[in-house]
Amino acid sequence: MTGGHRRILVVEDDPETAGQLVESLTASGYQVDLAASGNEALSRGVASDYAVITIDRMLPDIDGIAVMRQLRDDGIAAPVLIISALGEVDDRVRGLRAGGDDYLVKPFSFVELLARVEALGRRSDTIVKQTILRVGDLAIDLVSRTASRRGKDIFLLPREFQLLEYLVRNEGRVVSRAMLLQHVWDLHFDPSTNIIDVYVGRVRRKVDGQQAYPLIHTIRGIGYSVRAPG
Amino acid sequence: MLLAKTLTSSTFKLALIAIGTFGVIVSGIFSYVYLSTSSYVRSRSDRAIMTEYSSLQGAYERSGRDGLIALIQQRVADKNFADNLYLLADPSLATLGGNLRAWPPAVTAPKGWTEFRAGEPNATNRPLLRAMLETFPNGDRLLVARDISDLDGFADQIKTAVISSIALIFAVAGVVTILVTRRTVGRIEQINATSRAIMLSGLDKRIPLRGTHDEWDRVAENLNLMLDRIETLMGEVKQVSDNVAHDLRTPLTRMRGRLEKAYHGERVGEDDQLLIGDTIADLDAVLRIFASLTRIAQIETQARKGAFRTVNLVEIASEVVELYDAAAEPDGTRLSIVGDREVLVTGDRDLIFDAIANLVDNAIKHGRAGGQVVVANENIDGKPVISIADDGPGIPADQYKHVFKRFYRLEHSRYTPGNGLGLSLVAAVARLHGARIEMLDNAPGLKLTLWFSAPTS
Repeated sequence: MTGGHRRILVVEDDPETAGQLVESLTASGYQVDLAASGNEALSRGVASDYAVITIDRMLPDIDGIAVMRQLRDDGIAAPVLIISALGEVDDRVRGLRAGGDDYLVKPFSFVELLARVEALGRRSDTIVKQTILRVGDLAIDLVSRTASRRGKDIFLLPREFQLLEYLVRNEGRVVSRAMLLQHVWDLHFDPSTNIIDVYVGRVRRKVDGQQAYPLIHTIRGIGYSVRAPG
Repeated sequence: MLLAKTLTSSTFKLALIAIGTFGVIVSGIFSYVYLSTSSYVRSRSDRAIMTEYSSLQGAYERSGRDGLIALIQQRVADKNFADNLYLLADPSLATLGGNLRAWPPAVTAPKGWTEFRAGEPNATNRPLLRAMLETFPNGDRLLVARDISDLDGFADQIKTAVISSIALIFAVAGVVTILVTRRTVGRIEQINATSRAIMLSGLDKRIPLRGTHDEWDRVAENLNLMLDRIETLMGEVKQVSDNVAHDLRTPLTRMRGRLEKAYHGERVGEDDQLLIGDTIADLDAVLRIFASLTRIAQIETQARKGAFRTVNLVEIASEVVELYDAAAEPDGTRLSIVGDREVLVTGDRDLIFDAIANLVDNAIKHGRAGGQVVVANENIDGKPVISIADDGPGIPADQYKHVFKRFYRLEHSRYTPGNGLGLSLVAAVARLHGARIEMLDNAPGLKLTLWFSAPTS
């Protein structure tokens, strides 16, 4: 893995937001470059190799989505996280998902931002084709779609398996509730109730109940993470 | 004022163009009638003169000047030829015979047609004569004429009739135009006056009806209905903004109070963390209200209709039931799905999911602990139908129409989680899909049914 894979380009025109972004990403071990305008983003984007590029939707000179498209035309393949203040109303951002990139609605929590950036950055890592994923004593078989701990099968509904698979694939990383809704249910709204927590609670009982140690951990204020002790 | 408006109105201008065009056509027709009538009458008189001229000329050629004089005398005496006038003069224009006293000084041409007035130059009522002239080889001159004064008078009469008819048509059309335009302008002016009054003072004004049930009354009726609708909507908007103000102020006040207390107090790590955590939670609640409001507003713009596809209600409902089954479990509520296996609708999967999720969530929250929530999908008379029923306390029938209002919360649910926007969202999604919402007493409980329209293939 080269150093470029921990390098991020932040495109944001508001100085305070930009400062907060740089600070929190730097604290998480990223090397952060900042561009305050679309044109600056374009010149920096082609000059260095970035793991992830975050672009504000509304820039003073060029529209954030246009910046992304231009970078793509210039042959820049780095995943892009568009940050929009328009939210649901921003249909153009909704359309981004098809391209594999992600978007985040302002205002956002920095943990959510970090979780998204981590998930996007992972895509530029080498993906090993494995059919069985393991975390601690948990093994999930992606072909037969079954899970077991210490060889003992865990009965999971298809959706519950999908949820566990997504958590396991992001082992050691924080996964937000919105990310779960998006990737497990293909839903793009906030159900404004604790339904995700309730659902994860059920999966957790099945996976962690009567086991030596828990694998699914709650990350307060953001979501969940799967990791083995030690 | 009204007259000025009448004269500048487009109706009046159009009418003027119509009158002008019509006037030109009528004038053309009348001129043709006038010209053809007068030329017909004149040609009859010309033929009579010509016949007479020919026989006199023949007589001159056959029997010379004397023979002609004799014939003229004979004609003058004959009553049958009383309309004709004759004069034969020698080269010095001295009268040789005929019933005209002297050669008219105005006639100088040697031969051919001419017209002149007979009698003394300053006498009144001088008859107009039309004559054929001939000058014989020896210089004698012959004049055969007829009095065409009557003819001329007839033509004048036609001319007068034509001109006065045209004038009358223009006058009547002009007056009618002004009256009709005035009426139109008057009605429009009433509508304008009402519009101005509304802009100045408020939405309570209405356009007066005349009770004539004509198109103007219908326009006024429709505009009044539109104003009623706008007034209702404005009322709702005001209600909503009051509620927004209330629902946003409550958490904002809590946040402000907390921060103020922390600002003046000592820094205590653990307390601060708790305070900040609570403040972030309250802020998230405020942001969630904003998100819900913009989402409802976006649905109401109908923009999403473009992305409608055929979706299976049962599939969506099953996903919702699977997700919310986990939420029903702690209360011991049984959540089940019944009915057909395929119920197709044309719509937006995300929005339908959201609506069903809200309804199921409500049913679980407001139903009976240990009760039942049943989601039923059916095709009834070709219409896709989904109903969500609980066996809880239900809601009073007089509250049915209110629960879809934004921020409306029943008294007993004031302290359960939720922001009073869930059913507004359901209503907005239903409206977007052209679905009808029906609420029934499930005895006990509430049964809410969405009647979709048949899917478009």
